[in-house]
Amino acid sequence: MSNVAEALALGFGSGPVCVASCGPVLLPWLGAEPRELRTTGRLLALFLGGRLAGYLAFAVVAWAAGLAIPFDARTRTLVFGLANFGLAALLGISAFFPRRRCATVPDKRPTQLYQIGPADRFRTPAAVTLGFLTGLNLCPPFVTAGVRAAATHSLLGALGFFTLFFVGTAVWFLPSLAVSSLRRFSAVPTMARMTMAALAIYYAYLGVVCAASWRLAAGRAGNLVLFITGIVSHA
Amino acid sequence: MKRLTAILGYAAAVLTIVVAVVGPLFWFGVFSRAAAKTSLRIDPMYTGGEPARTIVHDGYQMVVYKPVPKRAPLSQTASFVQVVWKPASALPPAISEPVDLDGDGQPDCVVSFQASRGLDAKLRVSVEPLTTLVQPMNGVGKDSFSSLIARANDTIVVRVPLR
Amino acid sequence: MPDRDRSIALVAPRGIGRSLLLTVPMALFTLLLFTPVLRQPGRPTKLAALIAWAFMIALFFLMMRTRETYRWRRIFFITLGFLFPVGFIWDLVAVRSSMSIPIERMLSGDTPFCFMVLPMTLIPAALTRTIIFPGSILPTPSNPHSIAVMVALWLLATVILGKAWCSYGCFFGGLDEGFSSVAKKARLHKLNPKWRLAPWAILVAIVLLSAATYEPIYCMWLCPFKTVTEFPEVRSVQTALQFGIFIALFLALVVVLPFLTKKRTQCAFFCPFGAFQSIFSRTSIFDIRIDKEKCGAGCVLCQNNCPTLAIDQSSIQAGKTLSSCTRCGTCVDVCRKHAAVWHIKGTPVGVTPERARLLYLYAAWVFASIFGGSIIANSLQKLIGLIV
Repeated sequence: MSNVAEALALGFGSGPVCVASCGPVLLPWLGAEPRELRTTGRLLALFLGGRLAGYLAFAVVAWAAGLAIPFDARTRTLVFGLANFGLAALLGISAFFPRRRCATVPDKRPTQLYQIGPADRFRTPAAVTLGFLTGLNLCPPFVTAGVRAAATHSLLGALGFFTLFFVGTAVWFLPSLAVSSLRRFSAVPTMARMTMAALAIYYAYLGVVCAASWRLAAGRAGNLVLFITGIVSHA
Repeated sequence: MKRLTAILGYAAAVLTIVVAVVGPLFWFGVFSRAAAKTSLRIDPMYTGGEPARTIVHDGYQMVVYKPVPKRAPLSQTASFVQVVWKPASALPPAISEPVDLDGDGQPDCVVSFQASRGLDAKLRVSVEPLTTLVQPMNGVGKDSFSSLIARANDTIVVRVPLR
Repeated sequence: MPDRDRSIALVAPRGIGRSLLLTVPMALFTLLLFTPVLRQPGRPTKLAALIAWAFMIALFFLMMRTRETYRWRRIFFITLGFLFPVGFIWDLVAVRSSMSIPIERMLSGDTPFCFMVLPMTLIPAALTRTIIFPGSILPTPSNPHSIAVMVALWLLATVILGKAWCSYGCFFGGLDEGFSSVAKKARLHKLNPKWRLAPWAILVAIVLLSAATYEPIYCMWLCPFKTVTEFPEVRSVQTALQFGIFIALFLALVVVLPFLTKKRTQCAFFCPFGAFQSIFSRTSIFDIRIDKEKCGAGCVLCQNNCPTLAIDQSSIQAGKTLSSCTRCGTCVDVCRKHAAVWHIKGTPVGVTPERARLLYLYAAWVFASIFGGSIIANSLQKLIGLIV
C-alpha cells in the first residue's frame, strides 16, 4: 500500500514537469480543431494512453537491464532523435494538411461542420502516436521513478509502479480539457495550426541535433555531421 | 445609469493621468522593494546554483556549488556542478586540483587550467573524471552553460557536466 | 505615410492661444522631470536633454493645434526607434567594445532585462520561482535595467497605455514604422488577414517551449531586434545560425516588408509581445470607437490605412477596433465623416471625442516624454558629444 501511495505521490509531484514537456505538442494539437468537450476528453485519454505506452516501453527495457536509465547514451540519443523527427512530422502534417470539412453530419451550429469517417480514423492513431512519442523522454521525474521501480523484484511490480506514477502525473493534464471551450473563437484553429507549424520546425531541429550526435558518437562523423555537431551543446 | 458610467469613465481617465504623472516618482522603488521580498531568483543555469562547500587554500578559495539538475525535459543544457576559484588575481599560475562534487569526501574529478594568462587570454579547462558521476572535458572553453570555463568578476568559473 | 486621401480638411485647427494653454501643463511637468538631467554636468548632456524636451513639447503643441494625433506621434515614434539603437550600441561598445554579450556577463547577471522576455518567464516562475533570464532581480551598478525595474516599467505602461505601448513606448516599433513610411505608395497590397494570428501563434509556441526548455526561446532564436541591440557571442555553429536568423527576420519584417506594404509588418504579423499586450487592451480606459450611423456606407479608409490591420469589416460593424489596435490615431485622423473617434469607456460614443483624445494624450504623452524622451536624450547626448 505504501508503494501505491509513493508512486501516486511521486507522480503527482512530477506532474507540472510532465505537462511542461508535453504541452508544446498536446495543447496546439487539441486546439487545432473545434471539438466538443467529450471528443477532447477522448483524444486526451488516447494521448495519455500513448504516453503511458512510451513510459512502459522504457520501463520494460530498464527493468530487464537492471538499470534506472535504459540504453546507453548513444542509443538514447538515437531514440530521442527519431521521436523528435516523428513529432515534427505529425505536427507538420496536422498544421499544413488540415482535414477538409464536408457536410456529412451537420452540427447544432450550421456554420461549423464536423467530418466523421476517414478523418476520425486519423485522429485516434494521431493522438496515440503523439502521446507515445512524447512519452519517449527521460525527464528527471521519470528517472526518479525508474530508480524506484528498478528496486522492485518483478517486472509486473515495476510496471505497476510506473502506471501509478503515470496516473499521478495525469491529473495535471485535466485542465487541458479547457481548450475545448476555445472552440467558440473561430480564429483559434488557425492560430493553433500556425503554432504547430512553428513547433514542427523546432522539433525537426532537435531531431537533426540528436541524429548528428548519434553519428558522431557512433564514429561515423563525415564533414556534414561535424558541421552539425558544432550545433550540439554537449547536452 | 448612463450618467454614472460616464462619471466613472471620466474618473478612471483622470486617474490614469494621475498614475502617469505620479507613478514614475515612487513606483519603481516600491516595486523593487516588493520584488526583493519575494523568493524569486535567477535560474541556476545562469547563476550556477547555491554554494555548497568552500575549501580554503593558501591565498585563494575554491567554492563548490550544489549540482544543478537538467532544468526541463527539452532543455539542451545538461546537469552540471559549478566550481569557482577566487580571487582570480591571487591564483597560482596553474591549477590542477581534485574536486569533490557530491560532498561524500571523495574527489570526483581533477580540474586543470592555466590561470596565469592575461585577462584577454582564452581560458581552457580539462576535467579528468575519477568517478562515473562526471563527464570528461578536454581543453574546453565556453562550450555551453553546462560545460565552460570563464573569468567573471575576478573569479574563475568552471562548470563540470554530470552524467 | 499611409495612403491617405485627405481632400477634405478634417477639422479647423485650434487657436494658438488655446493650444499653448493646453500645452503648458505638459511642458511644465515634463520640464520638472527633466530637471535632474539638466542639472548634470557636461554640455552635451544638458543640450541633449533640452532638445529632447523641446522636441516632445513641440510635437504635443502641434497635436493640440492641428487636432491630429497620428502624424506627430509618428515623428516621435520613428525618432525613438532609430535613436534607441544609437545610444544602446554606443554604451555597449564603450563598455565591452562589442555588441555581443559574452557569457561572462550572463554569469554575472549583467544582461539588461528586455520586456519581450516577460511572457516566457511566467510559467517557469510560477512552477519553480526562477526567472529564466541571465539578469539580476534588483538593479546593480553594472546592470540598472534589472528585472524588477523593467517589470515595474511594463506594469506602469500597461496601466496607462494598455496596447498603446506599441505606439508610445516600444522602442523597437519605431523602426518598423519608419521603414513603412519611406515609400509613397504600397507595392504589395494583398495581405491575407489570417496572418494577424501569427503573433498569437508565436506567443503560444514560445511560451510552451520556454516552459519545456527553461530557456527564453524567442531571445535565442527569433528576435529580429538583436540585430540592432545585443546578441549572444557567436562562438559555435548554433550561435552563428541564430544570428543569421536574427538578421534575416530583421531585414524581412522590419525593413523590406514594411517598405513594400506600408504596414508595420513586424508588429502586425510577428511580434509575440504585441499579442501579449493585446490581452491588456481591454484594461485601458481609452479606446477607439466607430460610430456606425456616421460611417454609413463605409469608405473603409480607416481599414485601408490602419498600419497594423486592426480594423476590418466585422470590427466596423461592431463599432470598434480589434484587440490588436495600438491607438496610433490613424483611423481617427483619416476618417472624413468623424465616425472613428477617441472614446472613454463608459461614456457615450462620439459625444465629446476631443475631450477623450485630450485626456488620452495627456496620459500617453507624459509616459512617452519620460520614457521615450529620456532614451532620445541619452542617444542625442552621444551624438552631440561628437560635435561639442
